[in-house]
Amino acid sequence: MAELVKATPPEDVSQWKDVMVYCETFQNKLTKAAQEMIGRGRVMADKTKTKLIGVVIGSDISDTAKEAGYYGCDRVIAFQSSAFDMYKSRPFTDNLTAAVKEAKPNILIVPGTHNGRDLAARTAIRVQSGLTADCMEIDVEEDTGILIARRPDYGDSTMSEIRCEKHRPQMATSRPGTFEVPPRDDKRKFKVDLREVKVKKGQIKEEILSFKPRSGEDISIAKVVVAGGLGMGKPEGLKLLEELANELGGVVGVSRPIADLGWISRSHQVGQTGITVRPNLYIAAGISGKPQHMVGMANSKLIVSINTDPDAEMNKNADYVIVDDLYNVIPALIEEIRKRKGAENVEVAPKKKKKA
Amino acid sequence: MALELVVITKIVPDGSEVFIDPVNLTLNRSLATNVINPADENALELALQVKARYGGRITVLSMTPPFAIPYLEECVGRGADRAILLSDKAVAGSDTYPTSLAIAAAIKHIGKVDIVFAGEKTSDSSTGHVGPGVAEFLDAELASYVSSVEYDDGYVIATREFEEGTEVVRIPTPAVVTVLTNSNNPRKASLRRKIDAIRQGVIVWDLKEVGLPPDAVGLRNSPTIVKRMIPFPRRDRKGEKITTDNIAKLVDVFEQNKLIKGGE
Repeated sequence: MAELVKATPPEDVSQWKDVMVYCETFQNKLTKAAQEMIGRGRVMADKTKTKLIGVVIGSDISDTAKEAGYYGCDRVIAFQSSAFDMYKSRPFTDNLTAAVKEAKPNILIVPGTHNGRDLAARTAIRVQSGLTADCMEIDVEEDTGILIARRPDYGDSTMSEIRCEKHRPQMATSRPGTFEVPPRDDKRKFKVDLREVKVKKGQIKEEILSFKPRSGEDISIAKVVVAGGLGMGKPEGLKLLEELANELGGVVGVSRPIADLGWISRSHQVGQTGITVRPNLYIAAGISGKPQHMVGMANSKLIVSINTDPDAEMNKNADYVIVDDLYNVIPALIEEIRKRKGAENVEVAPKKKKKA
Repeated sequence: MALELVVITKIVPDGSEVFIDPVNLTLNRSLATNVINPADENALELALQVKARYGGRITVLSMTPPFAIPYLEECVGRGADRAILLSDKAVAGSDTYPTSLAIAAAIKHIGKVDIVFAGEKTSDSSTGHVGPGVAEFLDAELASYVSSVEYDDGYVIATREFEEGTEVVRIPTPAVVTVLTNSNNPRKASLRRKIDAIRQGVIVWDLKEVGLPPDAVGLRNSPTIVKRMIPFPRRDRKGEKITTDNIAKLVDVFEQNKLIKGGE
């Protein structure tokens, strides 16, 4: 519990050195969001010549703690208890806070998932420090160790750079998909500090009564997203998008107005009030490209914009632009892709014959 | 004993009413009117449903300048029992730490509270920190990103959503619940109730009333500061034009990037 007092900074910030990353798990496996944050933490630890300390909390995590090392942590503090089989707000806050107080990290980054944001927000109050949410960029000044956290501003084409100069640890969250997953290296050297946490009966007040896994695709991890906006004009447009997505092994995304219209569930909405995606290919069909949408997909590897308006903002941020009605373009695209797939079959057959 | 319910709300610029500045091609929100933060409308609706099923009293609490008063009257018009505005010049520039602190102090001043409802995040700053922060300051249990709740003899049973799925969690009161945007359909105030709400008025408290010194809040007592604004980063993309007749060229690019897995 936090007292009703203002945040007091530590007297000597130079004692706070390392970078700490909360390595979120689900069913005792590192989440992709955690891997991304470990990668980002590694970069900052290298820049400041400090250690990257991972914190893992779960019910069976001796292997998971090693995974955190393989992805880039130098030291992993693992809190294990059968009570930590699922995320629980208060005990997880207790343990992360304990790790912060013990290791005194200069920086603490947490995946910006629902549970990660819950945890980071409580921990920031507990340790009386500053937290910046939803950062698109997290970096550190090499000489001062000051965290540079940049997040998009609401409704503007600018980002705010937020700093927490006096308080420690300097905290930030980023949405899943903001950073790349670093390479996994099972030859890396690191130290695991596995602690069995004794939980007394009745000590944990949160009880998970049931859990149902998400049904349908998770667009935040899709390799290809075919997204539609108001340019679709009618809900049937989504069917066409889905057909193209199926050809490319991808999923359907939408801009906010389409989700507002209720044509598809919010779990498909890309953007500031939706999901951040980082696919290899993002096809924006009839999406004008408001900044609130752009922040959710700007890090896609390849962006294709299909729009009848040659001056659509999306076109200025796309690798390839087709100025035409999506109802002309997408069927042509599907046809061509199918032709190629068929052609590959044709090509493969003669090669085999040659060998034989 | 009747449930004591509190809904915390923020009045924010209306996101659907931002305009593009034709000169700078930036969005201008100075012309936008204000609205009750969308997720807070869902929080109020959920509180109203809890009250309808289990009884109790709903207090709507907002830490906003006095321009918020008509919006708080709207909340009372929808069925809240009363509204409190925590308004004090000293809170200007507060980040989420002192904001959570001041709101928690106001809730403590209300007295014994069973459930605090908050939106999952505000649509303007979008941090989602204040609900969990208030839980921390109140030493209350927390269920975040909630779509529905039930109450059972001192316990809140909440349906939470997160990336991997949906869970049902049971926590004892006092509890803070942060409510997902669009998780229900907020009712509108009837004209009669709205008139009653305006007659009833809004209770205004300052920091002194809730027992918080001015030097606990505001810009100077916020751990984070906005250092500067920088242009939104744009990766340099060439925007190569392709026509529908020449769509094969785009499919070539897909093939080069190994995006088409054919013949399997």
